[in-house]
Amino acid sequence: MEFVLDDLKVSVKNFIVSTSFADISKLEDDTLIFREGYFDSMGLMSLITFLDENYQTNTKDSDLIEENFESINAIIRFIERKREIS
Amino acid sequence: MNSSKQKFSKDIIKLKNIAETCNTIVERLRKEVLEGFRRRGGVIGISGGIDSSVALALSIKAFGPEKVLGVMLPEKDSSHESEMLAKELAEKFGVKTQTEDITQALEGFNCYTRRDEAVKRIFPEYSPENYKMKIGIKQNPGNQNLPPIFSLVIVDLKGNEFSKILPINEYLQIVASSNFKQRCRMSMLYYHAERLHYAVIGTPNKHEVDQGFFVKYGDGGADIMPIGKLYKSQVYELAKYLGIPESIIQRTPTTDTYTAVQTQEEFFYQMPFHLMDLIWYGYENSYSAEEVAIALTMEPDEIRKIYMNFMRKHQTTAYLRMSPVHF
Repeated sequence: MEFVLDDLKVSVKNFIVSTSFADISKLEDDTLIFREGYFDSMGLMSLITFLDENYQTNTKDSDLIEENFESINAIIRFIERKREIS
Repeated sequence: MNSSKQKFSKDIIKLKNIAETCNTIVERLRKEVLEGFRRRGGVIGISGGIDSSVALALSIKAFGPEKVLGVMLPEKDSSHESEMLAKELAEKFGVKTQTEDITQALEGFNCYTRRDEAVKRIFPEYSPENYKMKIGIKQNPGNQNLPPIFSLVIVDLKGNEFSKILPINEYLQIVASSNFKQRCRMSMLYYHAERLHYAVIGTPNKHEVDQGFFVKYGDGGADIMPIGKLYKSQVYELAKYLGIPESIIQRTPTTDTYTAVQTQEEFFYQMPFHLMDLIWYGYENSYSAEEVAIALTMEPDEIRKIYMNFMRKHQTTAYLRMSPVHF
């Protein structure tokens, strides 16, 4: 399970780095990606499309809160919560 | 805080001397267009909205009604009310008008087909005959720190609404297709401007320019923007002073771009104009969230989040305001 979780984190982190052109060495699992300026509106839209297509999160208007997307850890929790629901 | 800085209040952006503001704009219009561009007058796209109405009235003051052409540019999705109000305005000011229906040009570009293809990928049941559509931001900027993103809404014949967050590719395709409308209008305005040796007078206000609520080389494509530094509430102050018809002043600003009815607040701004004007002023002039919150009876945290939202919109749309890079 730990291995799978690590894979998930790496995948999300790689996506953020490739989309934002951020320096991967500075991006921690708890970095606040919106407050720190890694992502703007286009970044968030790309992230949601990435999660919906790869992790079937089926993101709704009501999911658009900071707690679900503010950091890599928050995104992982969001994916896991959505998996539990489905 | 700078000691010369005025205390923040609800009246802080109220024009001190409307006649003087009006004269300054009119003088600048005259100077730039007649002396700078060496053009004989102005062409302006009139939609029946407050911004184009004020820009038209200012142009008439600058060049005289005989040197201004108002062009109405409807297409099959635009409201008939827009055209009616634009006609009322032109009659009141005694200015020449021309109607150019751009529907066929848009069909030539496959504007509607390209847009509807993207909508169908999200809602396979969608057809333009059975549904109206619009896109808009649903988040409240005062209660969160996430950047705003767009949702797609379709409305059936009974008025039932269905909404989904827009995936990035569909969002980009819908916006790119719809932008044909503003770019066709720009082309037509330049046709008339060149035919008459006039300049194209743009209509974006301060919010549209600063927050990027315009189409690059569409409504952002003009020679001069006489209200580009005015807040929306100041545009309304000028409208009353210039005698714009009450029917236009009272109308809620709409986008008039998508088939479903949609206000500009719903589409993009997410808050009423009078509030947005004041908070933007506070943001731009470095007033603390606490000082603005007291004057507007809001929470400082709410103001901070709105400041952040403004900053994001300004940064995200910087590309739209950039001129071509020459090297």
